[in-house]
Amino acid sequence: MAESILKIENFTMHYMTKAGEVSAVDNVSLEIRKGESLGLVGESGCGKTSLAISIMKLLPENAVIKGGHIYFDGTDLVPLSEDEMRRFRWRRISMIFQAAMNSLNPVYRVSDQIIEAMETHFGNIDYSEAREKVANLFRLVGLDPKFMDQYPHEYSGGMRQRAVIAMALACEPDLIIADEPTTALDVIVQDNILRELKALQEKLGTTMIYISHDIAVIAEVSHRIGIMYAGKLVELADAEEIFHHPIHPYTAGLMSAFPSIIGPKRELVTIPGEPPDLLNPPSGCRFHPRCQYATEICREKEPEFKDYGSGHMASCWNPLEG
Amino acid sequence: MLRYVLRRLGQIVITLFVFLTLVYFLLEAQPGDYAQTFLSNPKLTKEQREALKAQFGLDRPLWERYLRYMGSLLKGNLGISFEHYPRSVVSVIAERAPRTILLFLTAQILSFLLGFSAGKVLAWRRGQAFEYVLTIGGVTLYTVFTPWFGLMMIWIFAYILHLFPVGKFVTPTLWRGAPVDANYVFIRILLSAFVASLALFLVLLATRRLNLALRRGLRGAGVLIILAGLLAYWLPSGITRYALDILYHLILPVMTLTLINFAGMMLLTRNSMLETMREDFVMAARAKGLPDGVIRDKHVARNAMLPVITSFIFSIAFVLDGGVITETVFSWPGMGLTLLEAAVAQDIPMVMGGLVFTGTLALLGHLVADMTYAYLDPRIRYT
Ligand SMILES: Nc1ncnc2c1ncn2[C@@H]1O[C@H](COP(=O)(O)OP(=O)(O)O)[C@@H](O)[C@H]1O
Ligand SMILES: [Mg+2]
Repeated sequence: MAESILKIENFTMHYMTKAGEVSAVDNVSLEIRKGESLGLVGESGCGKTSLAISIMKLLPENAVIKGGHIYFDGTDLVPLSEDEMRRFRWRRISMIFQAAMNSLNPVYRVSDQIIEAMETHFGNIDYSEAREKVANLFRLVGLDPKFMDQYPHEYSGGMRQRAVIAMALACEPDLIIADEPTTALDVIVQDNILRELKALQEKLGTTMIYISHDIAVIAEVSHRIGIMYAGKLVELADAEEIFHHPIHPYTAGLMSAFPSIIGPKRELVTIPGEPPDLLNPPSGCRFHPRCQYATEICREKEPEFKDYGSGHMASCWNPLEG
Repeated sequence: MLRYVLRRLGQIVITLFVFLTLVYFLLEAQPGDYAQTFLSNPKLTKEQREALKAQFGLDRPLWERYLRYMGSLLKGNLGISFEHYPRSVVSVIAERAPRTILLFLTAQILSFLLGFSAGKVLAWRRGQAFEYVLTIGGVTLYTVFTPWFGLMMIWIFAYILHLFPVGKFVTPTLWRGAPVDANYVFIRILLSAFVASLALFLVLLATRRLNLALRRGLRGAGVLIILAGLLAYWLPSGITRYALDILYHLILPVMTLTLINFAGMMLLTRNSMLETMREDFVMAARAKGLPDGVIRDKHVARNAMLPVITSFIFSIAFVLDGGVITETVFSWPGMGLTLLEAAVAQDIPMVMGGLVFTGTLALLGHLVADMTYAYLDPRIRYT
């Protein structure tokens, strides 16, 4: 088994708001091995982005880390200062944002924005060499290098997305976090880009975290899948395993809410209700108000996140199988 | 680009024509004029009076005078000033305009730099004590009654502290026997500033795509060469002491105008910064591991500056608004003061000339604003 590159231990992060504390990430533990691709799935508002930006420590001012550790390649990032973090950002961990379309500064040429990242981390690089590198990155992500000196507004949505991916690869990071990288694009472009991302990841051996609310999309590109609900990691297993033997009713619900590419055709059923307001998350298991299997204990006590065999982890009082 | 500029220049000429026609007939409609006072001198005989009238062309009907005025305007002739008789209006403007331009351009650029830097810091480091001090101080100065504030500044810095001269734009004793007139020096100062800024801009532009170390080295060298060039021009010229005298007189009015005006830029910059800071590319810049200062200046401020620049260039175009008051308070004999005197004395050709000048300046300023904006924002195309 390859060594682990990222190890999150009991990580908890809250947002302070006028209305109270939002428990956006609650006691999450997770380990990712080098070269692995992990999918993070959950409905909107379940804390996926919050967890992602916690790893890069790109938190807004009102965010408070309540506890836990994030070990990246052996270093705990949680206590690091902003200046110390800068050496990790982009050089070691880069990110493709949810709003990837707007991640490029409108007033600079795309090539210059990519070179800026390389210059920041590699220092005094030769300009023409850097340009050559940008051209290679462009080819890598399926863009014609002749577009590299254009401005972002001259690109189509799909091109911008590819440029952002090229930028994320610029400093050859060990880990790339892709937060809903294709949500804003149309379905066909989405599909192409995802497939290319996966090919790139396999070719370069980069570790990836894919984030999406669509479990079908994630299943295509990830080795392992983590399911987030209301700030908690509720299930974590190999992609195959989670598809064929989901333990948490929420996972099963997510799967029936999206057309499956792997499984047989079946009727789509969405989970009734919405994720809870994280200002006052439900007691016990946070999913219990929406769970058709909920019993007394689900309301009262939080289930433990435990191993159901061969690394299939879940937290549920009434597991579907097992 | 060239076509755009030409088309805009055409529009400017038309706008100017309409503006001048309106102003011409408005001024004609005013009761009484300079000629009237001039001509009612009882010592003049009827024949002399008629001769004078004919000389000024005042015996012709209105439409003919209008056509004649516009005709000579096309040839760059604005007529003879009554007040400064027999000097031509153009020569009076050529003498007064550089003084006004130097004073207000300096003040505007300083206000911009001060306001922009302050606004940047205010937005970036919110909620600290100096935020309130700067905001309240700036807004107080912004809303203060200009003549009163100008007089206070003169009273404190010139009268009590004796740091600066009380008014005027030169020390007459120093200039007695000077080899050149003040205008010569004014124009040289303006030209040097223009050439130096242009050179600095070109250096920045030319070194944009170089390796980090080379870029920094060349930029440093460029700045040194420009400074050396300025020294090489001014030191042996023999007029440096006169230029310094003018600059010395410039300090107090510039300081006053800057203090009054910077808050506008500051608040505008602050708001624009706060808005830009919410953009996704700012988060991306942070994720890229860029240093805080680079994110603030290169990414946020560079975008936030766009609306501020527009407002800045417009304000330059309308300097004569405040010019009348400021020039009066500091007895600065520029265009504002000249226009005021001409209006009081009903020196119609001079007033017209002043308005031609102001109008042209305002319209050209508008064009420059549009072009600068299009240069700074690649999303805008010349259309
Ligand atoms: N800056 C913030 N301040 C307060 N609450 C926030 C902030 N950002 C996100 N939240 C809240 O945190 C929760 C998790 O959000 P997020 O991490 O964006 O979820 P996801 O990416 O899964 O959609 C949501 O309830 C959201 O409203
Ligand atoms: Mg999200």
